[in-house]
Amino acid sequence: MIRLLFFGRLGDVAAGVATSIEASEGLTPSAVREALAVDYPSLAAELSQPQVLVSIDQCIADWDQPIADGAELAFLPPVTGG
Amino acid sequence: MPLTDSQFMRYSRHLLMDDIAESGQQRLLDSHVLIVGMGGLGCPVSLYLAAAGIGELTLCDSDTVDRTNLQRQVLYAEEDCGKPKVECAQNRLHALNAETKIHIYPEQLSGEILANSYDLVIDCTDNLAARQQLNAHCVAHKIPFVSAAALGWEGQLVAFDFAHNDHLCLNCIIDKDAPEPIMNCGNAGVVGPVLGAMGSLQATTAIRVLLGYFQQHGQIQRYDGKKGQWLGLTAEAKQHCAICGIP
Repeated sequence: MIRLLFFGRLGDVAAGVATSIEASEGLTPSAVREALAVDYPSLAAELSQPQVLVSIDQCIADWDQPIADGAELAFLPPVTGG
Repeated sequence: MPLTDSQFMRYSRHLLMDDIAESGQQRLLDSHVLIVGMGGLGCPVSLYLAAAGIGELTLCDSDTVDRTNLQRQVLYAEEDCGKPKVECAQNRLHALNAETKIHIYPEQLSGEILANSYDLVIDCTDNLAARQQLNAHCVAHKIPFVSAAALGWEGQLVAFDFAHNDHLCLNCIIDKDAPEPIMNCGNAGVVGPVLGAMGSLQATTAIRVLLGYFQQHGQIQRYDGKKGQWLGLTAEAKQHCAICGIP
């Protein structure tokens, strides 16, 4: 299983979304986003915004990076203001 | 130069600490810090650094004070509306600590401003282009760089000690060519104290860097003020980063 974390305001958009997803060979953050789009298109749209970051086990990752079974995948919305 | 009697009194709460003491205070007094952006982050950053006795602060911001700024930009008062932010900030910071030299640029960031010598650069801007310009300059000139941002209830802090690390920069984390997000403080809002929290952390990080206590090059701190959650993240240098990568 892969644990899912939707940080900050993404957590509001992801209310009701499962907090884990079945692991599979070569699963990537992009693939997780595509899977979420089936049932949660508004969440997938938020995850597709510019500068959304992903981390795997608290390390910033690429969207096409494979996720190991047991890892935590986090989505982090952009923060830009100052 | 030894501290004066007045400085011993003013900075006594630093001097009581073994890991700051007189030598650390002298280092702060000898430091020159550039703060780019004098909004919700730049206000607390400059207040704390002036109070801490940073010798020289250079402030850069082209904006004038607007009534909508007063909800979070704690340096400014109602009578400042319409005046350049850096001039108002200079007056307020001078009143706080007349020993700190305050240089101001009521204009957008430029090569002329960056051409000065700084011990540390602090990003308090509100857009990726300015952040990336500062990042590239700090990488090229091996200047420590402390960057933060906030939106809504959320904040982010990331700092880079380019004086001791050649690789892993802001561009490794957020691509310099990424489009600006649709949401910003102007259309989505921001909670003032979240900016205060992140600005205070920027000032704390700045003091750590200047005193030689910073060991978290490229680590990211995320804060969700609505849920009271913190998240610490690491990042890795991108081998082919256009700014810090190996060509």
